[in-house]
Amino acid sequence: MPTILLVEDNELNRDMLSRRLERKGYSVEMAVDGAQGVEMALAGHFDLILMDMSLPEIDGWEATRRVRAGEAERGSRTPIIALTAHAMAGDREKAMEAGCDDYDTKPVELPRLLGKIEALLSSGA
Amino acid sequence: MTGLTTPESVAELRHELRTPLNLIIGYCEMLLEDVTEPDQRSGLEASLEGGRDVLTRVNTTLAPARSEISEAEIAALYDSLREPQGRILEATSTLLTPSSGTIDPQFERDVRRIRAAAERLLTIELPTTAPGSHPIHTREHPSAPEAKAEHPAHILVVDDQEDNRAVLERRLRRQGHTVTSAGGGRSALDLVGRERFDLVLLDVMMPDLDGFEVLHRLKQDPTTRDIPVIMISALDDIGSVVRCIEHGAEDHLSKPFDPVILRARISASLDKKRLRDVELQYLAEVGRVIEAATAVESGTYASGSLTQVAGRDDELGRLARVFDGMANQVKAREARLTEQVDALRDEINKAKHATRRTAPSTVPNLPAGELFAGRFEILEEVGQGGMGIVYRALDRQLGEQVGIKTLHSELLMNESVVERFKTEIRLARHISDKHVVRTHDIGEWEGVYFLTMEYVEGLTVRELLDTRGQLDVAATLAIATQLAQSLTAAHGQGVIHRDIKPQNLLLDGSGVLKVMDFGIARLADAQSNLTEVGMIIGTPAYMAPEQMLGETVDERTDLYAAGVVLYECLTGRLPYQADSPIMLVAKQLREEPQPPTAFNPDVTPALSALVLRLLGKAPGDRPASAAELATLLGKVH
Repeated sequence: MPTILLVEDNELNRDMLSRRLERKGYSVEMAVDGAQGVEMALAGHFDLILMDMSLPEIDGWEATRRVRAGEAERGSRTPIIALTAHAMAGDREKAMEAGCDDYDTKPVELPRLLGKIEALLSSGA
Repeated sequence: MTGLTTPESVAELRHELRTPLNLIIGYCEMLLEDVTEPDQRSGLEASLEGGRDVLTRVNTTLAPARSEISEAEIAALYDSLREPQGRILEATSTLLTPSSGTIDPQFERDVRRIRAAAERLLTIELPTTAPGSHPIHTREHPSAPEAKAEHPAHILVVDDQEDNRAVLERRLRRQGHTVTSAGGGRSALDLVGRERFDLVLLDVMMPDLDGFEVLHRLKQDPTTRDIPVIMISALDDIGSVVRCIEHGAEDHLSKPFDPVILRARISASLDKKRLRDVELQYLAEVGRVIEAATAVESGTYASGSLTQVAGRDDELGRLARVFDGMANQVKAREARLTEQVDALRDEINKAKHATRRTAPSTVPNLPAGELFAGRFEILEEVGQGGMGIVYRALDRQLGEQVGIKTLHSELLMNESVVERFKTEIRLARHISDKHVVRTHDIGEWEGVYFLTMEYVEGLTVRELLDTRGQLDVAATLAIATQLAQSLTAAHGQGVIHRDIKPQNLLLDGSGVLKVMDFGIARLADAQSNLTEVGMIIGTPAYMAPEQMLGETVDERTDLYAAGVVLYECLTGRLPYQADSPIMLVAKQLREEPQPPTAFNPDVTPALSALVLRLLGKAPGDRPASAAELATLLGKVH
């Protein structure tokens, strides 16, 4: 059963998305801000990270950069999907530059997101 | 008008709107995966559809490619969101009030989240990143700015939905208020018990302790009863509104609320609260003034206890200032008097040590042990005067010591004189003052007229002067003040003493002065005109010119005599020195005395002038009354 780390500051979004993913057979762990997300990402072994971009203090881009930097020392790489409701032109590129593997917008369209998750899990396996 | 002017601000508003949409759509989709009951499915489908409609409109207007959007266009967008939002609210409302059966708690919680997210939609404001940007308003309130509240307050926001709390918090902070929020009824009550709030915004529907219960508890507790509470609920029915008001809520707002309305209602509630606070404070301060008045009366007033009230710039403040000033004056005067009486007591003690009270030198007319008038057992003779002899006696009927003064029979030789004397004594009996020796009765026994009176253990000012020579200023003022008070009481009853002199002023051991022989001098006056020269009672040294000349006497005649007494106390000498009574009278009528300052350097010019004024030849030169003398004495040192 693949384990996903969900980094999301909004309690309701966490609740909703984690429950929906769990129903699809994923195990979900959650971090409530960027710092906790980086810490958990580097400490555990997750199959995938869903990273909200608009986090307080350490935002999603910065958190992603730190995860990537930490992984470089360990020689591992967990796929990261950026999530944002911001959706500005250039956001996608920015996310990719920071080290994300894919990008999706909120409101989440679950089938689309699941497609992206599956794609990354199978390619990274 | 600004609207949105940068791609960043467009993106930010898009983000703000999409966040609740994410919840609406996400929760609806998730619940639809489980729910089979047709009513529930159709409610969720309607909500989902409403959410998607809103999303389409948001995506169209706030497209990523756009970098500038006018305020009018945004207002139009918000207006267009009302209809799909209404559908979500209606559908969720139905889902939350099933016609039959119970509702699954998890399901209920999720539907509430959908509903709360839908409620938030129209309350989302324009990003503040651009200077001069305005909050979103519908066309009814085109461009009312989100002005800072006139009176920033500490507001408690109580809502179980985190998002709702966040929106309210942010909005209220933007208005300049300080905001604390609670996620449930219990934590709200807890906070209210610890911190002071000016207003509570209270959600009705909460899982642990609902808004009505919180409101009820707040209104029951005297310490929180006065905090205004505005209830917020999605229930718009009149019954719910009535219930809120009946429970003591200040106001009721139904979700989703317009920011302008929210601001206006909060401001109105705070205004009312402030007015009530001002009123309560006013009443409390009136109470303080009344309390202070009681304290002054009982002599326990602590100066400065009205300082806070005195700081007011209204009539009550003025009253408090005047009152505090008066109370302090009274206190200072009392302190001074106590000091003076202490000095006087000191003089008395010294006099007592110097000469043990002189034993009566003359042979008593009535021997000790004799029963006088069948009632009074003579104990000792205590003095002899021009009018008779004074005895200390025991009143066997009352078991009390009394003073008895027998009167020389020559004084009462005819009936009309006796009658006038009796009238005078009856008048004197009415004087009730702690500084007047009380006259009890007049009687006749074996051809001797006598008076019974209060017996005072102590010594006369005459004895004090004979021992001490002169008295210090404070002791003199203590005598003067008490004498003025005594005369004020007697004159008030229409009794003129006519024979104020040191022999008639008794001091008890604690320094209290009592004036004796009120009414008796009348006898001497009456006689002096009838009988031969030389029958003038006592020394004329204390007599006012008008009295010596047989003219009309009044209160001011006693004031002259008081002046002579004070002169003597301060200087140890009489104002006029003469070898013979005739010369003395001549000087009194014609000469000006030397001021007391000439003989006693401690006497202040003001006191010296006051004594000279009392010694004025014409009554009109003197203070008008004993009461005025008392006032004047209060001002000199």
